Amino acid sequence: MSEIAVVMAARSVWRPVLMSLVAPALLIVLWQAIVATHLVAPYILPSPATVLARFQNELDGGTFWGDVAASLSRALGGFALGAPAGLAFGLLLGLSRLAGRLFGPIFLAYRQIALFAWVPLLSLWFGGGEAGKLAFIAISAFAPATVNTWRAAATIPAPYRELSRALIFGRLDHLRLIALPSALPGILTGLRSALIHAWLATVGAELFLDIAPGLGGRLNEGRDKFEVDLMIVALTALAVLGLGFSQLAAAAERRSIRWSRR
Amino acid sequence: MSRHATAFLVPALLFGLWWASASEGWLPQQLLPAPMAVWDALADTAASGDLWADLLISLQRVGEGFALGALAGLVFGGAIGLSRTLRTLLNPLFLLLAQIPPLAWIPLVILAVGIDEAMKVTVIAWASFVPVVLGVAQGIRDVPARLRELGRALTFGPWDLVSRIVFPAAVPAIFTGLREGLANAWQTLVAAELFASSEGLGYLISLGRQLFQLDLVLAMVVVLGIVGLAVNGALALVERRLLRWQTIAP
Amino acid sequence: MTELSRNRSDAVAALEIDRVGKLFDVAGRRVEALRDISFSVRPGEFVAIVGASGCGKSTLLRLILGLDTDYQGEIRLDGRRVEKPALDRGIVFQDHRLLPWLTAEGNVAAALRRSGLPRRERRRLVAEHLKLVGLENFAGAWPAQLSGGMSQRVAIARALVNRPRFLLLDEPLGALDALTRLRLQDELARIVRQEGTTALLVTHDVDEAVFLADRIIVLQPDPGRIARIVEVDLDGYRDRSAPAFLRLRDEILDTLGVRHAPQQAIATAA
Repeated sequence: MSEIAVVMAARSVWRPVLMSLVAPALLIVLWQAIVATHLVAPYILPSPATVLARFQNELDGGTFWGDVAASLSRALGGFALGAPAGLAFGLLLGLSRLAGRLFGPIFLAYRQIALFAWVPLLSLWFGGGEAGKLAFIAISAFAPATVNTWRAAATIPAPYRELSRALIFGRLDHLRLIALPSALPGILTGLRSALIHAWLATVGAELFLDIAPGLGGRLNEGRDKFEVDLMIVALTALAVLGLGFSQLAAAAERRSIRWSRR
Repeated sequence: MSRHATAFLVPALLFGLWWASASEGWLPQQLLPAPMAVWDALADTAASGDLWADLLISLQRVGEGFALGALAGLVFGGAIGLSRTLRTLLNPLFLLLAQIPPLAWIPLVILAVGIDEAMKVTVIAWASFVPVVLGVAQGIRDVPARLRELGRALTFGPWDLVSRIVFPAAVPAIFTGLREGLANAWQTLVAAELFASSEGLGYLISLGRQLFQLDLVLAMVVVLGIVGLAVNGALALVERRLLRWQTIAP
Repeated sequence: MTELSRNRSDAVAALEIDRVGKLFDVAGRRVEALRDISFSVRPGEFVAIVGASGCGKSTLLRLILGLDTDYQGEIRLDGRRVEKPALDRGIVFQDHRLLPWLTAEGNVAAALRRSGLPRRERRRLVAEHLKLVGLENFAGAWPAQLSGGMSQRVAIARALVNRPRFLLLDEPLGALDALTRLRLQDELARIVRQEGTTALLVTHDVDEAVFLADRIIVLQPDPGRIARIVEVDLDGYRDRSAPAFLRLRDEILDTLGVRHAPQQAIATAA
């Protein structure tokens, strides 16, 4: 590679990184300016320094980590309940034409109902305990897992199905060597989607049912006490965790399908 | 048995079980009210006019919020899709903010604009905004290079390139984004109405819960389902008209 | 449940196609894909079925394999009607149809799942057949890492690993580039001769048919019927440029209604 190309390559690596920092940096500058010029009252928008201090405060002591752990465990717990059930149901619907025709329509009808509408129902049935919340999060993970698995299991390419017949595979062999591997990408997408939905449901539930410990509860606390710096800390934590979830799920998905990469 | 008949088999069975459960008393009324009770609750709210008033308010909120968010999403998504500079500048910040669940913004927004319509429309707009931006940006990015090449070979200027090649090719992804945005908007609306509103369908459900009137709750859940179906169906219809050129991939 | 026939060299039985016809329902219309196809195949023979696209030759192969049992007439293997697929018939598809989530040896081994053989024996057979097609060093490769020609060779190994009585080839080299195709034709000739399997090849490439087959069945389309059956009397290694080769090829092209440039005086020679 010529020298010019090397220099240009190096520059093209750093430029995007620097440029992506421009917007957040500008935002912080603007923020500081608003605070400094007293454009809004300090109780509405605390200075960046205040927020940073609050960050420090929370991370060092207090219940912050407990809240994070509580939210995470709820999300993962509900996911562990709802996602496998959705997976199994989706496989049933996809692999068995009869099951798809029998149970498919009512599942599709069930999906039309907005998720949070189940909260009042569940709280009446479970009486407001932790079980009810877990059930709600499990329900939120169930549908995405089912839908993606169903589609994946129902669309095994005809060439592979023919091969299975030519090699006279029995039902078990067909499942293990043809149906499941072929459906795997879709199944993983379903699990990824279920994880994200479980997280969203957790945050929403904590917010509205004012559950503590939990990040949602912290957010509410910030609103009740009018502590915007606490709210910003909680929101940032949510953003970071959300990012972590998506990246984790995407990476796991990539690793499992190594045979599709050259 | 025909395809349509089998679709109703399981629902009919479940309904039969529900009816039997109510008349035989297998489950207490507090846990599972009788079908007739649910029907009565539905009829009452319809007759008193509450149902229609609240339904209208809900639909209005979704309409306003979604229109706002989707429009902004189309513009912003188009901008970062077409301009690499803008994308590098704005995308990271946008993606970070997008990680935060729309509902989590509610407390902050309440502090900013209060608990009324403005809050709901804002949050619903944001909930619609994110998927639309993602859909538009993805759609533009996924336009095959060979189609862009064709445009250059035909000496298309930037306006022609975008309007005749890039945008039409991106329409399927854009619609996926719109569909998701609408779904998001609807979910956010219901959640917001459930917990922070004094009118709307969600409010009716919440009212039912507070009064321990499970029949009202169930009746409104049914209405929600029907409205959800109608809204999704309408969007699907529009999509089908616009995408007639698309063939189903084998 | 062992479906293998270990005594491939038993002379007597064969494949008989007896007045086979096939009708399809395409968008409400009845289309006759095959009409009154009759021929038989002797053990160890290499028969090619040649014709343009749409003349039903692939359909015929699927009927012989047993993927489709809705047809007129009879297909008999050793005197018995073909009911469904079995391991006595191995097939190579035009798209290599390797399972992307199994390695090369995994794919070949998949064909042995129903053979009832002990694991050690299966492993030996897989290794042996990968060696047969020259891919012993690629046993652990994923299909995505193999070229088109290599993938097709794995497919051939998979079709042969059960030591089937019949090797069915459905335009196996059609998806490959011309150079690879020529090389694989050589390979195929060597492999089939070495294994002694009876082979049935479907192809639209007349040169390929003349190069590989002992007998060529020429089909004409609409509906698929036998136009003529040609005995190939070229011995030993077949030279693609030899006059006898070209004469035979041109004859067949003629039957198919394709104009060709006469090779100087050859066309008029007897």
